[in-house]
Amino acid sequence: MLAFAARRLLVSLGLVWVVASLVFLVIHLIPGDPAELLLSQGGIAPDPAAVEELRERLGLNAPLWAQYLSYMGGLLRGDFGLSLQDEHPIAEEIALRLPRTLELVGMAGLLATLFGVPLGIAAALRAGGALDRVLSAWAGFALSVPVFVVGTLAVLLLAQQLKLVSAGGYVPLARDPGRHLALLMMPATTIAVGLGAVVFRVMRSSVLEVLEREHVRAAQARGLAPGAIIRRHVLRNALTPVVTVVALHLGALLGGTVLVEFVFNWPGLSGYLVRAVEARDYPEVLGIVLVISIIFVLLNFLVDLLYAVIDPRVRHG
Amino acid sequence: MRPSSIRGLAGPGALVLLVALVAVAAPILPLFDPVRQDVANRLAGPSALHWLGQDEYGRDVLSRIIWGARVSLTVAVVAAALAAVVGTLLGVLGGYFRGLVELFTVRVAEIVLCFPPLLLALLVVTLLGPGATTLVFSLAILFAPGFARVAYAETLSARALDYVTAQQALGARTPRILFVTLLPNIAPPLIVQFSLTVASAMVLESGLSFLGLGVVPPSPSWGLMIRGARASMELAPLLLFWPCLALTGTVLVLNLLCDRLRDVLDPRGKAAGRPGFLGRLIALPPAPEPRQAPGLLSVQGLTLAVQSAHGPIEVVRDVGFTLAAGETLAIVGESGSGKTLTGLAVMGLLPAAVTPVAGSILLTGREGRVRDLLRLPEREMRGLRGRELAMIFQDPSSSLNPLLRIGSQLGETLRAHGVRDGVRERVVALLRQVGLPDPERAAEAYPHEVSGGQRQRVMIAAAIANHPRLLIADEPTTALDVTVQAQILALLAELKRAEGGMGMVFVTHNLAVVSDIADRVLVMYAGEVVEEGRVEDVFAVPRHPYTAALIASMPEGDAERLTAIPGTVPQPWAMPAGCRFAPRCEMAIDACRAAAPPLAELAAGRLSRCLRWKEMA
Repeated sequence: MLAFAARRLLVSLGLVWVVASLVFLVIHLIPGDPAELLLSQGGIAPDPAAVEELRERLGLNAPLWAQYLSYMGGLLRGDFGLSLQDEHPIAEEIALRLPRTLELVGMAGLLATLFGVPLGIAAALRAGGALDRVLSAWAGFALSVPVFVVGTLAVLLLAQQLKLVSAGGYVPLARDPGRHLALLMMPATTIAVGLGAVVFRVMRSSVLEVLEREHVRAAQARGLAPGAIIRRHVLRNALTPVVTVVALHLGALLGGTVLVEFVFNWPGLSGYLVRAVEARDYPEVLGIVLVISIIFVLLNFLVDLLYAVIDPRVRHG
Repeated sequence: MRPSSIRGLAGPGALVLLVALVAVAAPILPLFDPVRQDVANRLAGPSALHWLGQDEYGRDVLSRIIWGARVSLTVAVVAAALAAVVGTLLGVLGGYFRGLVELFTVRVAEIVLCFPPLLLALLVVTLLGPGATTLVFSLAILFAPGFARVAYAETLSARALDYVTAQQALGARTPRILFVTLLPNIAPPLIVQFSLTVASAMVLESGLSFLGLGVVPPSPSWGLMIRGARASMELAPLLLFWPCLALTGTVLVLNLLCDRLRDVLDPRGKAAGRPGFLGRLIALPPAPEPRQAPGLLSVQGLTLAVQSAHGPIEVVRDVGFTLAAGETLAIVGESGSGKTLTGLAVMGLLPAAVTPVAGSILLTGREGRVRDLLRLPEREMRGLRGRELAMIFQDPSSSLNPLLRIGSQLGETLRAHGVRDGVRERVVALLRQVGLPDPERAAEAYPHEVSGGQRQRVMIAAAIANHPRLLIADEPTTALDVTVQAQILALLAELKRAEGGMGMVFVTHNLAVVSDIADRVLVMYAGEVVEEGRVEDVFAVPRHPYTAALIASMPEGDAERLTAIPGTVPQPWAMPAGCRFAPRCEMAIDACRAAAPPLAELAAGRLSRCLRWKEMA
């Protein structure tokens, strides 16, 4: 198991390096000069002197390999460079905002799993029944409502009309844990509506698929009770695709919380990203994209470990 | 394609068409100018002139919703079409040429899938600035890899098919093969992918516009309208409601259309079954429980049917046999003869699609009680499985749960039938009994850690764990190496001696093993019994041409398959009117084709379904 983990970790670190290099290449190989791009507004050519000054400041005049080395060196020290807008260290801002986004995504994933997995199992075991039809229809609907519509309507209904909750915002956990959680629940639930529907669908079809497998029939032939068959021979086997899908979606959500954070004024990484995109502050954008991609890779590493825990064949393979 | 699934397409299809028509017709509809402001009447409610009211600049909401549909749909459809063209091209090229081409098409495209989608869209917007063109471009980049993947997978499976290889052999030029022969054949999943992509693209477009990074104001877009209405939510909540409704409704009908399209065009992914073990459908009329039955197992008039659109199709018809305690009966036949279904019917483990329509399966239990297994409620049946009845399946690799240790799966079999103490010792003893070299270690091993032959030994151990009265072995050696086959047969014979009185039904297509293990043999063809008798008698003088052909096709060594009989078993829905074997039979005469011959008793325990059995000597 340890050897397996070490091997997978090595692969993941290699991937992180590839991603970091890709991000570097994207900005340097794409046609057009970043400095010029930054300074041009509405199609008016920028002042060449200003462009030259910015190029010098960004180190764009050095040879590509030198820029690459200094960029990678910076990353190793945890240095993502400075914001073009206010010269604030990017790493600092990310360190402040990342935990808030992770918390939001984590809570959403937890809620989605808590509802999606048991309901998916229940629907699969009585496939075609009334419960299955109701839940499947609901999942189809939940998947069709864009997440910012869910959020906006939730604010409109629960906060504006019924005055049950506040419309959004953020209070640090240390200051007021109760209020912090209360404010977390609205955006987390909003994300969990769609995510839960995804988990539900995958769990349902996965259980249905496992039920058709030979070893389930063999367990029946040995006279095992339905409860024991479901517990021991169906659920664990059905979990692998669910783990994959949840992890993939959580990864996608790291960038996808943009909309929800915007709706609920949650000061996470995404709001920072939108601001950076609007200002075309490309060191900021790259830093955030890089961090999210690294987390994405690490998440995949964790998924591989989870596979190994679930399935002994992966461990030994 | 079933007509019912096509009818299912009509509803969502009509709705999507309606949305598209309204969007296309926007310029000729009697609408207000969607960007004309009327600040004096800002946030005015619905009126005769402005059906849905006016927005924060006094613009007509209905007009903006309809023009917004135009913008949203155009962006989504153009982006999806662009992604479809680029992605399909990459996927088809990668799948057809493989190798380096695959690396530079499909694998490169897949890098895009490593990034969270919205993040990537934002990255493109950073580089190119907001606007509808950027939007189309970035959405196309996002969705092209999805098409590439689908096209790649479909091309891979299609390129090996006959119609493609035939074209290659005829010397057709590659572009012609790719786009004239291949593309139409892989189109259905791509069409499904397209409708899926249009829906996703709409959601992304509206999300980016909502953030102010998509469609540029004052162009109407649903995302932008929701963004604008948020500010005046308190004063005019309805303003928020309309674009939300339009967006959700459109995505919903698109998704519905997509689901239905998938059912029609690409039905593979459709989850079928009803799990069997939560309750068994017993469709048979009740019958009085008999006091006595001949032998250990007595199957009478067993008929099994598959429900189809054209009514029930009988896959096993009027099968009967008896088995005495301690006896071994071999059921022999080609695939499709119904031999496995007969075995499963005894266990009460028929697939959900197959239902018993007539007959009885009488089992005399340990305590002398006779039960009709075809009519026994699932709950009681479960108590018999693994205790009175046990079954060994064909493929030991898939019969064990790969995630649980061998000892744990044996132990649960004991516990399920009331063993509480010394389970571990019993498990090790069982593994030793079936000849596993290191039983203590094997109990701790996972199924993948032992060989195929050893896995089958484990399955046998599980089957005999509770000393069953009847063991059904369904091709237990077919998936194994020839040398291992002999060992497993020897083990079964030895166990039968040890478990005095245990009867065995041995289902196989391999006549060579029959003489080694069985006392009597039952030959099945196309769902019917064609011959029955003692093994020596049947091998010496077969009384049915099919049996004779089986024996003739047996090589001196071990036969893997029966290939020497010309033709194939008829399909259950296309049975010949007369003798079912007549189309393949050298001895067939007109009488054989005229009416189905009955199963005649030639001597005690010797049956044949051939009109000309007397001529076979």
